[in-house]
Amino acid sequence: MGSISLTIDGQQVEVEEGATVLQAARKADIVIPTICDHKDLNPYGACRMCIVEIAGVRGFPTSCTTPAAPGMQVVTQSARLTELRNRTLELMFSGHPNSCLVCIHREACEQYRPKVTKAARSTRCGFCANRDECDLRTMALSAGKNELSLPTLYASYNLERDDPFMDRDYNLCVLCGKCWRICEKIHGKPAISIINRGKWARIGTAFDKSHVFSGCTFCGGCIDICPTGTLTDRFARWQGKPEADTPSACILCSEGCSVVAQSKGGQLLAYTMTGFNKEAGLCALGRFGAAQIAASNQRLIRPLVREGEDLIPFDWQGAIAAAAEGLKDCAGGVVLVISAATSREDRFLYVQLAEQLQGRMLLLPAEAGEDDPQVQALAAAVQGGTIRAVIANGNLLPVEMMAKVPFSLIIDCLHSPASSGASVVLPAAVLSESGGTFRTATGAIKQLAVSSQAPGDALPEWRIVCDLAQALGLTGFDFERVEAVTPLVADDPAPAPVSGDPRQNVRDLIPRFRGHLLADVVSALAAFGLPTTPAETSEETTGVGFPILEKREIAPNMHFFKVKAEKVAQFSLPGQFVILMAKETSERSPFTLVDWDAAEGTISLVIEEVGRSSRELASLKAGDRIAHVSGPLGLPLTIENKGTVLLGGGCYGIGAIFPLARALRQAGNRVICAIEASSAYLLYMQKELATACDQLIIATKDGSEGVRGGIQEVLAQVAAQEPVDQFIAVGCTFMMRMVTEISRTLNIPTLVALNPIMVDGTGMCGACRVSVGDKTRFACIDGPIFDGHGVDWDELASRRSAYAREEVQALSQSVDLNALMHQPHAQSHGGGCGCGR
Amino acid sequence: MSFAARQQQAEAAWQTFEQPDRLRILVGSATCGRAAGSLEVMQAFADELAKHGLTEAADMVEVGCLGMCYAEVMVEIRGRDGKRVLYQGVEPRHAAALIETQLVRGEVYLPLALAVMTGVDEAVPTFAELPMIKPQVRIVLRNCGIIDPTNIDHYLARGGYQGMTRAFAMGPDQVIEEMKASGLRGRGGAGFPTGVKWGFARNSVADQKYVICNADEGDPGAFMDRSVLEGDPHAVLEGLLIAGYAIGASIGYVYCRAEYPLAIERLQGAITQMHELGFLGGDILGSGFGFEIKIKKGAGAFVCGEETSLMQSIEGKRGMPLSKPPFPAVSGLFGKPTNINNVETLAAVSAIMEKGAAWYAGYGTEKSRGTKTFALAGKISRTGLIEVPMGISLRTIINEIGGGVLDGKQFKAVQTGGPSGGCIPAQFIDLAVDYERLAEVGSIMGSGGMIVIDEESCMVDMARYFLSFTENESCGKCVPCRMGTQHLLRMLTTITEGRGTLEQLDIMRKIGDAMKNASLCGLGQTAANPVLTTLQYFEDEYRAHIVDKKCPAGACRALIRFDIDPARCTGCGACLRACPVAAISGEKKQPHAIDQELCIQCGSCRQACKFAAVLVD
Repeated sequence: MGSISLTIDGQQVEVEEGATVLQAARKADIVIPTICDHKDLNPYGACRMCIVEIAGVRGFPTSCTTPAAPGMQVVTQSARLTELRNRTLELMFSGHPNSCLVCIHREACEQYRPKVTKAARSTRCGFCANRDECDLRTMALSAGKNELSLPTLYASYNLERDDPFMDRDYNLCVLCGKCWRICEKIHGKPAISIINRGKWARIGTAFDKSHVFSGCTFCGGCIDICPTGTLTDRFARWQGKPEADTPSACILCSEGCSVVAQSKGGQLLAYTMTGFNKEAGLCALGRFGAAQIAASNQRLIRPLVREGEDLIPFDWQGAIAAAAEGLKDCAGGVVLVISAATSREDRFLYVQLAEQLQGRMLLLPAEAGEDDPQVQALAAAVQGGTIRAVIANGNLLPVEMMAKVPFSLIIDCLHSPASSGASVVLPAAVLSESGGTFRTATGAIKQLAVSSQAPGDALPEWRIVCDLAQALGLTGFDFERVEAVTPLVADDPAPAPVSGDPRQNVRDLIPRFRGHLLADVVSALAAFGLPTTPAETSEETTGVGFPILEKREIAPNMHFFKVKAEKVAQFSLPGQFVILMAKETSERSPFTLVDWDAAEGTISLVIEEVGRSSRELASLKAGDRIAHVSGPLGLPLTIENKGTVLLGGGCYGIGAIFPLARALRQAGNRVICAIEASSAYLLYMQKELATACDQLIIATKDGSEGVRGGIQEVLAQVAAQEPVDQFIAVGCTFMMRMVTEISRTLNIPTLVALNPIMVDGTGMCGACRVSVGDKTRFACIDGPIFDGHGVDWDELASRRSAYAREEVQALSQSVDLNALMHQPHAQSHGGGCGCGR
Repeated sequence: MSFAARQQQAEAAWQTFEQPDRLRILVGSATCGRAAGSLEVMQAFADELAKHGLTEAADMVEVGCLGMCYAEVMVEIRGRDGKRVLYQGVEPRHAAALIETQLVRGEVYLPLALAVMTGVDEAVPTFAELPMIKPQVRIVLRNCGIIDPTNIDHYLARGGYQGMTRAFAMGPDQVIEEMKASGLRGRGGAGFPTGVKWGFARNSVADQKYVICNADEGDPGAFMDRSVLEGDPHAVLEGLLIAGYAIGASIGYVYCRAEYPLAIERLQGAITQMHELGFLGGDILGSGFGFEIKIKKGAGAFVCGEETSLMQSIEGKRGMPLSKPPFPAVSGLFGKPTNINNVETLAAVSAIMEKGAAWYAGYGTEKSRGTKTFALAGKISRTGLIEVPMGISLRTIINEIGGGVLDGKQFKAVQTGGPSGGCIPAQFIDLAVDYERLAEVGSIMGSGGMIVIDEESCMVDMARYFLSFTENESCGKCVPCRMGTQHLLRMLTTITEGRGTLEQLDIMRKIGDAMKNASLCGLGQTAANPVLTTLQYFEDEYRAHIVDKKCPAGACRALIRFDIDPARCTGCGACLRACPVAAISGEKKQPHAIDQELCIQCGSCRQACKFAAVLVD
């Protein structure tokens, strides 16, 4: 192909024939905004941001789809183009929650808001999983766009979490089409495409089935390419922007696929594809399973040494000494059982160890377990009594067999029956925590890079084997770096290939890693029919608990509950809360009482779906039962006539101020209720509040309804017009912190309802400790309502985020497999026709 | 059999059909006629003929549509005297009287008689002289309602397939020149010169080329293409074959929406007949040209009328437009050079090739040659499908052909071009209808929808209606169209509900500008037109909704109230019976009253009142 020459913004550009105008512009470092163009995808022309003017061409062609032609005169910047692009951008943003652009508190929020948040749907900036890596926002901010004249058309799609690994929030989607196009490119026939038309057009599978039944191979390409946060890896969704992308390889099976390990804060977030092409495709296990295995709560984190019935945590020195002691007199009678899913270096060292102990080493296929023929043969040999010790780097040995061997050592990353039955257990680093090289089934050697930290005391296997060998007095194990071992490894055999192609078919996924059933570790894998260890059956409790009489989602993520709880209703007072447990096994979580009816024996709550516990509650329906309702808890608000009281509510606080308003008004106060939300579509209970107070003032951060701003603006406005004798704020920590600063300058007595982490709610555990006016108080029994001007906000924010990482990871560990059997959406009229309405 | 011999045979068959001494009943049974009950009428006629023992003596044939929708069901009866009388509004109950009067007694049944087809009658006007027919020039519709569409002989006898043989004699390049000389422009809406378009596709070099007939007629209220396909399928297929010959395509597709089952049935039958006569297959009539036609049913997405979407749909993909370039003439269906023409264009092609470019170019204006069909609808006395020479005035169309505004109301505007078009206000009633003049006043020719609007139609509400259509039919691919239609519809809705703001007028103009200039395909580029043109000519109506909270046309329910004028009310009770929500009460022969709490502003009372006593405000 020849090259052609064209002029862009007066600059002469030479490009290959066939290049588009956009590619030519990029070559000349001329930036044209676009959201749907991607270097690995064919031109699409959907976002219309990359329009240009071309001499002799009518209208405004898109540079991404227009082939460059010799002598073409292109203009990429003009007042008219800017005007049209800004309008298009505004239209695009009107279909995407946009408070991250237009909120007047954006800068303060970015300073004070929690670093880790989570939610069901991403309804607004503070609860957007993609906020640090949103191409859309970057494009808008670089266009200087932070005013929108169009209302936000929030689509209100349900959060789709009916597949094993992805959360899909189509409310964020701008239909750039990258996801289905990359799917088509990698797989030929895409599992997803645009479904429906017009305002109902969105990405979906054929007949809107679960991705499990759509032909999706779970390569994650769509997630990696999505610019808006619509498609997310449930595990990584709330963990923020990856800090490092490290090329490495996956050792979960003998394919040894090349990966890019995304990590943050020493933790593996995901193995992703090395490029957007078919060859780089990953299987569901590698793409989504690896990070979950590494973060599993079943990880071995301490060396364990058997003392009688118990395995006692030891330090490394003691544990290695115990292992060496156990192996001391076993020369000639040692068998090592090593999985093929082990690096070449680790395997080499195991071989050296076996040789020097004059033992044998069995190398098991990557997907093998204790039913492997070699293991069965070993079990038979154990009966003969010649075997003195066994060493395995996985759940590879039957417990009964281990019981017959005098000494057993498990060097592994995960708890298992084998580790429970071992004499000594040594915790190993795995996957991205350990370096070396890996030989694939095709014989290729791939580099393994360390990109995350092993949990607890776990160490790489090469390190463990070297320490053990040295403790045994063996020679040739004095390595300080795994790289020093690599040159010694030679002639290691290529492992057997896996049967089928797990990258093309989820039914071909290997069931085990080092003998562990993978679906036991990554529960979502059971959706593909991977075997699990049968759970011990527990008695289903039915007919107990607190019946839910009414349940509705009154605003995105906000769920209204009316629950039968007679005793609670009988004693409730304004400002009090209850602690709920959705199921017998659920965490306890506190929720403010929004209303109650002693005669009817009911209480009403507004529960914002945020993390795992509120999700469990939100997934309940009218007619279901809540396992436990404890309350009323906390000190009620002292109701007295103060004069004019301003109540400020945000998020769940909109509901929570309702009983306060009603009681204060009954006590003769002039009650003004101010409620805030990022945008009008997040408001709720306006009617109820309007009847409970003298004046209702609405504020939205984007100005879509009422005052543009939040409670702080309303407070200032009201105080300028009339004296406010009491101000009470209920909502997120950020809002309460901001408003107390204003009320302090205005000298308005201020109360806030604090929301620290709480466990028992009765003053026993101390989790809800807060500092108010230099005193340590318990929010559950001394509060939750405190003097807002005395609160140590930094401490509160810090204590609230103490378990942020665990809270975030808990979301991917609670997958409801029943929900994977996708039902048509609740908002559909029937679902059969697939029209989406 | 040679073509000439076959044609003689066809002429003989036509003569038999036209034989004046044979009893004949033609029933307009296109979809429009069927919807009005033509099949039941035929059954009633069959029963009556049997009663009179005339079953064998009379031919009864389903024909296509004459275009006089307001007069359906239409039956043409030829009696023993050879007189052909066209009856309108025929119902099964009329069969007995019609047979008895005309076939037995030999008289015209005057209560239903609309016209005599030939000759002169004292009591009944001649068909060609009817005010609705006289200004028309029927080229595309030349055979509709005249011939049996399932009989290729009828088509052949009336000059059919002579265009094909003439094309074969000319050679492809000359055919393209002939098209250019005719001045024919694409009748699908855009008006691109057909000959030039064919030239592009002919000049593309490829091992395979395609021609496509776009029969995905989707504008609300438009049914020109359906009528032609149902009433004269060969006219379209011959045009497609000629197009294929001209550009060098061996395969033609007819992309027809599945909601046109009768059209598809007629097309399938016609294709079978073409095969039987050797007009399809390899080496047609020894010309060395081979051609096959396939029918592809569309699932009813408006955007699939857009050519790139249509081709995506034929390929089995989601019907979404692609960016041009590449143009279909270079890379179209399955990546091969493709030419797409609309049904009406192709029906004109066969006529032009038969009668010559000069004949066709003799009609119309300088840049808009020939004729154009329109689906005349809305508040007009005679709704129907018409074909007029380009350059005819709106006044002629509305007042003569259409018989003026319905019920003598005031003419306000005419909407052309459907959801992509615009509104032309009454001040332009003398506008000559051609591509250029329509564009000058901000509207478009479009595919031929023409909706007459009277004083009681609200322009804001009409814009809202069209936007609700395009909002739903936008494929969703590009941002300006998908989001722009949503915002426009929302704003129009708030305005019709009296909740609009003046600021919205400006925002709507800006959104419309972005949609027009930044959308991917014609759908989005034109979807704002109904808003933009009504804003241009009827901004005062918008302002009345916003500022005065009034709908001047009395159409927007949220802004109107109905009251009964006691001075005019006779207490007849007609309104009371018509009210669906029992909001009207009153003693017999006493003035009635409307309970405003219960009233849903449906207007049924106003329609029911014979004394204009129901006032709207």
